[in-house]
Amino acid sequence: ENSPAPLPERAIYGFALFLGSWFGFILYLIWAYVPETWLFSLGLTYWPQKYWAVALPVYLLVAVAIGYILLFGINMMSTAPLNSTHTITDNFAKKQQQKKFQEEAIPALRDIPISEVNRMFFLPGK
Amino acid sequence: MAEERRFRSVSGLPIALRRRQHSASCRELAVRGPRLQLRSLSAATSAVWLAAYGLFALSENSMVLSAAIFITLIGLIIYLHFVKIDQESLLVIGSLGIQVTSSYASGKESTTFIEMGQVKDVVINEAIHMQKVIYYLCILLQDPEDPQGVSEVVPLFQSSKPRLDCLIEVYKSCQEILGQRKTAPLSS
Repeated sequence: ENSPAPLPERAIYGFALFLGSWFGFILYLIWAYVPETWLFSLGLTYWPQKYWAVALPVYLLVAVAIGYILLFGINMMSTAPLNSTHTITDNFAKKQQQKKFQEEAIPALRDIPISEVNRMFFLPGK
Repeated sequence: MAEERRFRSVSGLPIALRRRQHSASCRELAVRGPRLQLRSLSAATSAVWLAAYGLFALSENSMVLSAAIFITLIGLIIYLHFVKIDQESLLVIGSLGIQVTSSYASGKESTTFIEMGQVKDVVINEAIHMQKVIYYLCILLQDPEDPQGVSEVVPLFQSSKPRLDCLIEVYKSCQEILGQRKTAPLSS
């Protein structure tokens, strides 16, 4: 069973991730701020250019901002246009089976055709 | 016998619905949108000409000014002839068909005729349109293979976009004529 209750394994994983993320952050700060000459004197010559310490966060933030606009656009593109039959029906409604009407029983659940819905809403007294 | 009533469109602009009954089985419903306002026309023209004058002040090229005048004229003609729809009308003739006419501000009229055998029903549908949910009237066309199915949806009054109260009036008028379809063959 999956329950969100605390377990010893989860505590250990959580603590390992906590230490790992702190280690990664301190490493990123050292890479970004410690001058190159000091890193070379320690023997660390093959680290990536410091340019990327600024470029990667900027790339990430711009991607997130574009993602908002992209999601909005994808939603608008997937909306069915006003002249498509998808605004009226779909494959499930076309293939539904009609259950027989039984007296004094609640009618079975079904998709009501739009003509019938319109008559009920907008033509009074029918 | 004609009557005209005022309504509002989805965006709040005033529109007018005119109903005419030509005979017992023929009705014409026309929705007229607002005419082109002088103030919006002057505002657009002044904005384009001010921008052109600003460009001229920057570039010292007098072609910019004549190009702006040219663009304004051509743009106005294109807008009146292809974009601005003054009146959309629906002519329902029982046992013959439905004719949809759009009249543009330049006088151009474009009509579409749908014969009654293809018309399944005229209904008010609601759908999502540009971050709004709107009601719109549409003609459902019959699917030749499947008697219960809908092959195509033809939306009506697309440029004037009346609100539900106007649509209900049009719907009731159409249903009075379409309802005669089922009874007329039996009575004759």
